[in-house]
This record gives sequence, structure tokens and C-alpha cells, in this order.
Amino acid sequence: MSSTTAASFTPAETRHGSLKRERRWAMIGAYVALAVFVIFFMTPPFHMLMTSLKSSGEIADLSGNPWIVSAPTLQNYWELLTQGNYLIHFKNSIIVTVSTVLISMVISTLAAFALARMKFWGSATLATGVFLTYLVPETLLFIPMFQIIGGLGLYNNLWAMVLIFPTLTVPFCTWIMIGYFASIPKELDEAALIDGAGHLQMLWKIFIPVALPGILAAMIFAFTVSWAAFIYPIAFLVSSDQMVLTVGIVSDLIRADTFQWGKIMAGALMAALPPLLVYAFLMDYYIAGLTAGATKG
Amino acid sequence: MSQGTLSASIAPGSTAPPRNSAMRRLSRRNSTVAFLLTLPLILLILGLVVYPFLYAIYLSMLNKRMTRFVGWENFTFLFGRETFWNVVFQSVLFAVSAVLLKALIGFILAHVLHALPSKGQRKWRGMLLVPWVIPPAISTLAWWWLFDPSYSAFNWALAGIGVDPVPWLGATGWARFSVILVNVWYGSPFFMIMYLAALKSVPDQLYEAAAIDGATGWQKLRFVTFPMMRNIISITVLFSLIVTFANFDIVRILTNGGPQDSTHVFATYAFQVGIQSGDIPLGATVSLFMFPLLAVFAILTLRGVNKRTKEMT
Amino acid sequence: MEGNGISRRTVLRASALGAAASTLPLVNVHGQSSGGKLALGLWDHWVPAGNDAMRKLVMDWGQKNRVEIQLDFITSVGNKNLLTIAAESQAKQGHDVLSFPTWEVHSKADLLEPMDDIMGRLSEKYGALNPITEYLAKVEGKWRAVPAISGSQNKPALGRIDLLKQHAGIDIQAMYPASATASPEAANWNWDTFLKAAEGTHKAGVPFGLAVGQFTDATDWIGSMFRSFGAELVNSKGDITAKSDNVRKVLEYAKQLCAFLPGDVFSWDDASNNRALISGKSALIFNPPSAWSVAKRDAPQVAEHCWTFPAPAGSQGRYTPYLPYFWGVWSFSRNKGAGKALIEYLSQREQAETMVAASNGYDIPPFTSMTDFKTWETEGPPAGVVFNYPVKPQHNAQQFIACYPAPPEIAVQMYNQGIQAKMIARVVQNNEAPDRAIAWAERELEGFKRG
Repeated sequence: MSSTTAASFTPAETRHGSLKRERRWAMIGAYVALAVFVIFFMTPPFHMLMTSLKSSGEIADLSGNPWIVSAPTLQNYWELLTQGNYLIHFKNSIIVTVSTVLISMVISTLAAFALARMKFWGSATLATGVFLTYLVPETLLFIPMFQIIGGLGLYNNLWAMVLIFPTLTVPFCTWIMIGYFASIPKELDEAALIDGAGHLQMLWKIFIPVALPGILAAMIFAFTVSWAAFIYPIAFLVSSDQMVLTVGIVSDLIRADTFQWGKIMAGALMAALPPLLVYAFLMDYYIAGLTAGATKG
Repeated sequence: MSQGTLSASIAPGSTAPPRNSAMRRLSRRNSTVAFLLTLPLILLILGLVVYPFLYAIYLSMLNKRMTRFVGWENFTFLFGRETFWNVVFQSVLFAVSAVLLKALIGFILAHVLHALPSKGQRKWRGMLLVPWVIPPAISTLAWWWLFDPSYSAFNWALAGIGVDPVPWLGATGWARFSVILVNVWYGSPFFMIMYLAALKSVPDQLYEAAAIDGATGWQKLRFVTFPMMRNIISITVLFSLIVTFANFDIVRILTNGGPQDSTHVFATYAFQVGIQSGDIPLGATVSLFMFPLLAVFAILTLRGVNKRTKEMT
Repeated sequence: MEGNGISRRTVLRASALGAAASTLPLVNVHGQSSGGKLALGLWDHWVPAGNDAMRKLVMDWGQKNRVEIQLDFITSVGNKNLLTIAAESQAKQGHDVLSFPTWEVHSKADLLEPMDDIMGRLSEKYGALNPITEYLAKVEGKWRAVPAISGSQNKPALGRIDLLKQHAGIDIQAMYPASATASPEAANWNWDTFLKAAEGTHKAGVPFGLAVGQFTDATDWIGSMFRSFGAELVNSKGDITAKSDNVRKVLEYAKQLCAFLPGDVFSWDDASNNRALISGKSALIFNPPSAWSVAKRDAPQVAEHCWTFPAPAGSQGRYTPYLPYFWGVWSFSRNKGAGKALIEYLSQREQAETMVAASNGYDIPPFTSMTDFKTWETEGPPAGVVFNYPVKPQHNAQQFIACYPAPPEIAVQMYNQGIQAKMIARVVQNNEAPDRAIAWAERELEGFKRG
């Protein structure tokens, strides 16, 4: 490992022959390592794709090669999109995730700003304490949560998820943003204060634009986590029209001991699209932003 | 931006003495404003984490029918069960090995990606992110299908090269391997992007300086990259360790704890005891067990991170 | 959530039009013309047609009785139904009527409405009731739920006629034909014969697909096997009786049997055995007709060779694994009257027959008098494949729930933690002596006795 990864650091172009050779080998090593991991990472999704293109008869048939599809059909996709509640679940997931991301960003940006820039009684404890909330597992919390959610009349209601999911996203988002905000030079706030800006103006005009990569990173994180959340939805959502994708796929496409594999795979692949798009669009910006920050160093 | 991106720190407020009336006014109002800004966070945590957590602690001190307060009895009862200690062992094995592997794979991939020309990076990055974006509850089902005794596509491929079918989930060793494998598959991309972001923020000048000093690749890694990334590594490992310790869906779907309880982790065991067998207090006790240990570890890690951040600023 | 579209306004309009007068409401809450609102959480049937039939029954009843119905089908996948029950018992809100799986009636008894009146009327009308339902749903002398038709299942043997004939020399179709008589060979259908058949099919590469994990399919057949050997781990008083010759015998037997099973049966779940059968890799599984029914769709060449027949007998008798569901009404429900009336309606013979027909014969009504429906005779191919799915007099068998007769609060833990399967796994996988496995089980059971 050390040879490939370490050597891959050689930064600027070096004109020495030995270094050039070393660099070529490093690149080859890098591509080999990449290929190995891409195969490892892509094998299950590839198999999912193949399965999603099969009829249930072909899935049950053991004589064929499970890795390829002999009679491809889009029937599974078509049935998901035209029958049953898949689209409702999709819409619900989008509602819940977008709301969760927005709420999380508001809560954690405000809190991170305060924790990064203003020292007040208990601020250090609060910052550590926020992260420690992850120590309390969902499997422990959902039982007391039944009473809280029941008391609010939100049992079996989509919006209960919007209320609960921020507990999964906010702590990490807050930490990411504290890190970014802390790295913003203090001269900037002083300048703003001298110009007579208030705290919120300072946050809005200086911190958010400067720390945008960090905010994007936090958003991506919040999006992924709430899109994939499973335990709370399965515990709190019962009616099919309130379900989000994760629990909807599991409860609508599996009937007791009968799995509709083709549709499960098709549903999972389509469910992976929104986060994939989010990553595809935001990652470039996110990394570009980071790099820009780094060169300022 | 020279420190790790996640170099979370409680940065001291404006350390410079107030120079004008605006600054003075500000520092007076500081703590009120700060409190108001953190209020949503505090309410969220108090209402939806701390209160239910305290209630769960109370639950763990009730008897099975939840009619009587029994104090520490549930804990002492658990400590006397050999199944429980197996669960402790397995949870530690699962979480520690999965997190180490994820951290290692994420580290390798981040470096390799970082070294690629930026044009090719995007495509590779996209493919390497796929496991992380499929909701794990469903991708685990896909893995389960790959492990299925009758339909295993892995065993089909192995049969092609003349290898006997592997009982992926049927024998203790293989089942442990499989649950860890799936967790590593799902979690590695998270480490990869976190590290990649951190790597990008390490200034090139540092490497140039190291190169001028004649540092080898290994030395650069050891003395430049690693110290610069220490905070982000700590935070990512800590977060992942906590989340992996609490993992539920992977084990639940793949093995349900079997064979012979050898793959149970805290969450699945708590579910089996609490929800399936109707002993909610005991289930809560199981879930609570790790809290003190992880809390100590987390506090130490976070303090280390804060200290390093302060040294750097 | 599904509604039958009856809102208060349409109800009022209907009664204003005088339509209400034509049908006599069964339920009349508060003396109004509307029977109120009823939220139902029923078991999500494995056959989509099962849900459709249930929906129709319930909605029709709602129309007739002016009850606004909200119907959710709650899957047992991932124990979603258990989570729902836990959630609603904690939140004290949710549905009015829920389907309760096997053990949940006991653990939630103090939150469930007594059903003695309904049970009294039903047993007067339909006669003898399966005693297992009483063990599971009668708590301290009171019925807390009504045995459900939808979802209640037997798990007899489901075998391949051709493979068993060829590799084990047993003609299961002749042994248990689709008629009211069993052939004389049926007397020899015991665990010894079963072992030989397991050996034969194992050698031929189509081993029996018997799960030995911690899911219900495994627990159920193993429970029946233990019982037919007379191996009882905990008696009805709650004393641990695991150290007995019969337990040793059954473990030794299981060790021999497991040698002829696929190596990874210890992690099989409720779907693995179905797949083994459907894929044509297995000659016999213990299952309700779902495996056959999926095979009919996906692998018809397998399905037409399937046949359902009773489990083998042991020295202490023949026990057919049985897994019932129950319908219960929460005590915090706001419309208990309507809930109970609906449950009583669904328990009638006509509705039972509809559900059995819609589910390809999957559902097993709790009354012996309801084991004669046409569906079980006609379903196929092969015709009569599920004839022997309900327990018939000629089977000489009893329905049985694993871990009976241990007190339910102990039995539920034994059942859900698959203690019998784990004992077998210890003996087979870890090569432990039966006595060591028993000693281990005794320690576990001691823990289960915790109050």
C-alpha cells in the first residue's frame, strides 16, 4: 500500500528520469488499486441491475448465469412506476429529505456560528455534548419516542420523520460547520463589526459565503442520512401512503416469504438516483471550493 | 483552511480586546445572542435525544412487565448471561474491524483519487460512491440475495472455477466475515470522501518544502499528510465507530444474529430481547451497555481534536 | 391508508335519502346512524389476492354498517408488525383493531379488550376450537383476542412427489391421497422413515430444505419434532425439564438428520427453504403453500410435482406445526363496539371460506368444522396439492406451537430466540455432546424465567 499511495504524492512535474519512472509506476499502481476497489464496490449494484432487468421466472431459474440477463425486460421498472405506491414513497422521501436538510442546515448553521465565534457559558460542553448524542442509538430511542410522537399526534405521520431525522443529521453537520467557521480568519469579522454589521448580517454576508464548501458538505451528509434512514420509518410509519422509500420497498415488495426480487432491485436502483445526482452535482463544487481554500492556505 | 476541514474547535471568541463601542456592545450581547442561536439545537437535543434517553434509562430499571422499579437488577442479570458476553465480543469485533478496514480503504482510495488528473477523477469518484448512496437497508437485501444458499451468484461464480459453495451466512466464521464485508462495502466511500476533502486542503507548499528536504514518499505521508489529516481521521473514525456499534439493518437482514447468536450485535440483540420477546426494559439495558465505554472514548477523542486545533490556530 | 370513501357527509346524505332504512346496522354506536370510524391494521397477506379479498370483506361490512374504514396492511417482514404493536401499546394510539402474531396477545393482554362474548357465540356455532389458540389467547381465563383466519397457517411437509419416489422410495401422493382416507403406509411415516428419505435425497443432491436457524419456519418444525419425541424443555408450571432422555434422543436424532441437510441451514430464514424448493434443489420442506404458489408462477415444472402431507410422527405422536394470528381490539380504542362486531363478522364460516379461497388455501381457520372447504380439494396443479394442508382426522395429528406447554411468558423467549434450533446447532456445528447442549439450554432457560 505504502508504495502506491505514498508515491502518488509526487506533486509537480519533475524532469528527472528516475522520478518520472517512479511516477509512471505510481500511476499504474493507482489505477490497479482503483480497478480492484471499483470491482468490489460495483459488484452488488451490477448484480442488482441485472436482476432488475429479469422476469421473476428468470430469477427463479437456476440453470442460467445469475450475472447476466438473457431476456431483458423493463417490466419491473414499469410496474413500479405505474402500479402500487412506489411513486408516493418516492415523493414522501423527497418531502422528508428536503425538509430535513433545510431544518438541519438552519439549526446547525446558527449553532455552529455561535459555537465557533462566541464564547459563552457552557459552549465547550455543548459542542462536545452535541456530538455525544450519536452515542444514544436509535434502537434505544425509538421506544420512548413512541410516547413523544404519540403525544404529539404524529404517529403514522410522515411529518414525524421531519421532526426526528434532524437528530441524526444535526450533530455531525454542526461539527463540520464549526470546523469551517473556526478556520475563517477573525480579521474578517472585525472588519464587518467595524462596518456596523450585526451578528446575523455577519453570518449571512461573510460566514455562509466563505464556508460554502463546508455547508455543502454538511448538506450532502444530511441528504444521504435522511434519505437512507430506516429504523425510525419502519417503527413509526404504518400506512403505505405515509411511508418513505426505504420502508416502502421492504414492506410492499416482500410478502411474508415471497420476495419480488426484480422489483426490489429496480426500486433500490431508482432510490439511489437522487443521492447520486446530488453527489454528482455538488461534489465538484465542494471539492473545488476546498481546493480553493487550501491554496489560500 | 490549513488545518483539516473538520477541525472542529471551540474557537475562542474575539480574543482581541474591544476597540470601539460596537465591539463592547457586542460582547455584552454576545452570550444572549449566542444562546438564542443555539436554542434550536438545544431544544432539538433536549426534546428528542436527552429526554427519551433519560426515559430509556428509567425503562432499563423496570421489571419485565414494566410495573416495578428494580434498579440495577437488569444490568446484573445481563452480566450473568453468557449470550450477552458473546454479543459484547461480537459487537466489538464487528465494529472495530469494520471501522479499521473502512478507514484503511478510504485512506487508500482518497490518496489514489487525489493523485489522478482531475479530469478522470470525477468518473472514478462517481463509481466509488455508489455503495454509499444506495439506502443500506435495501442494498443489504441485495447482498443477502448474493449470499442466498440456493441462488448465491457468488457460489455460482466459485463453482465456475471449481470451488465448493461457501456457507456465507451459515457458519460462524463466514457469517462474521460477511456482515463485516457488507458494512465495509457500504461505509468505505464515506471515509473516502471525508479524506479526499481533507487531502485537498493540505497545501501543496508543504509537500514542496518536504521534497526540497529530500523526503521520500513515505516520509511525506508520515510527516506531512498524516499530521494534517489527524483531526479529520479522528472525527470520521469516531463517528463511524459509534454508528457501526449501533448498526442494526445489516445484521438483522443478513443473519438475524445467527448462526447460534454468533453475529448478534447490540442493536439486533436488544431488538430480539426487547421487541420480539416482550422484555423492553432488558432490551433497553442491552442498548445502554456501550454508552459509558463509547462516551469515554468519544470525549477523549474530541478533546484531542480540540487541543490540536488550538495548537494550530 | 385506505378508506372506503365513507365520510360523515356521505353517510348523512345516504341516511337522508332513506337508504339507511334498507339495511339494518349491526353496530349502532351512540344511537347515531353512523357507526363511526374504525382503523384496522391487518396482516399483510402473502398473496396480493388475499389483501384484495380482505379489503372487499371489510369495506363491504363498513358500507353496510355505516362505519368509516381505514385499512392498513402491516407486513410481518422485518417484524414490522411487532414494531407496530410495540409502538401503539406505548403511544396508546394508532389502530382500533390489529392483527397480533402468535405470542403478542399474552404480552399485551392488559391492553386488549376481552373477547369472551364473541368466542362464546363462535364456539357455540362452530364447535371445537384448536386448543393451541386457547393457550395463546386466553389469559387468566379471559379471551383477549380472537383467532384470526387470515394469516394463520400450518407448516406441514411440502414435498416433491417425483424426487421422493425416485430417491427415497416413498409415494407421498399414495400415502396421503386427496381423500378422506390415509393409506396403510401412512402408519410408517415417522422420523425414522424421514431420516432414510433425507439420506436418499441427500445422496441424490436434492437434500431436504429444513431451516435450523432462528426464524419461525425453523422453530416451528423443530418444535413439533421435539414434541413428537416427548422432549419438553419447560413444563406447564415453568419448571425446567430439559435434562431428560427424550431431549437427548431428539438431539441425537437431529444430529443424524443434519448430516443429510445443506451445510448452511443454520442461518436459513423463512424464505431460504422456499427458494430451495422452488429452485428444484430440494425434495422436501416444511411450509405453508406459499412456496408451491410461487413455484406455480415462477417454476411451474417444480410446482406440478409438489404435494402437501403431514409431518412425520414420533413415539409421542404426530404434531403439525401451526402458527396462528389473532385479531384484537386495543382497550384504548375509541370504537371498540364496531371493532368487535367486525371481528365477529370476519370469523364467520362464509368469510372464512372467502379468505381461504382467495389465499390458495393458505389460511387455516381455528375451528375444526372449517377444515372442509372446497379450495383445499380443488387447488392445483397437481389437483389436491393442499388437500392435506389443514389437519384432517385421518392424519392422526394435532396442531402444535413450538415450546408449548411452557408458560407463554417463558415460551415466547424460547420461541423467538430459537433455543431448540440452537441446541441442535451446538450438537451439530460445535460437535458438543447432547448433555453439554442441554446444560447450556438450562442456563439460558433459567434466564428466561426472569419475571
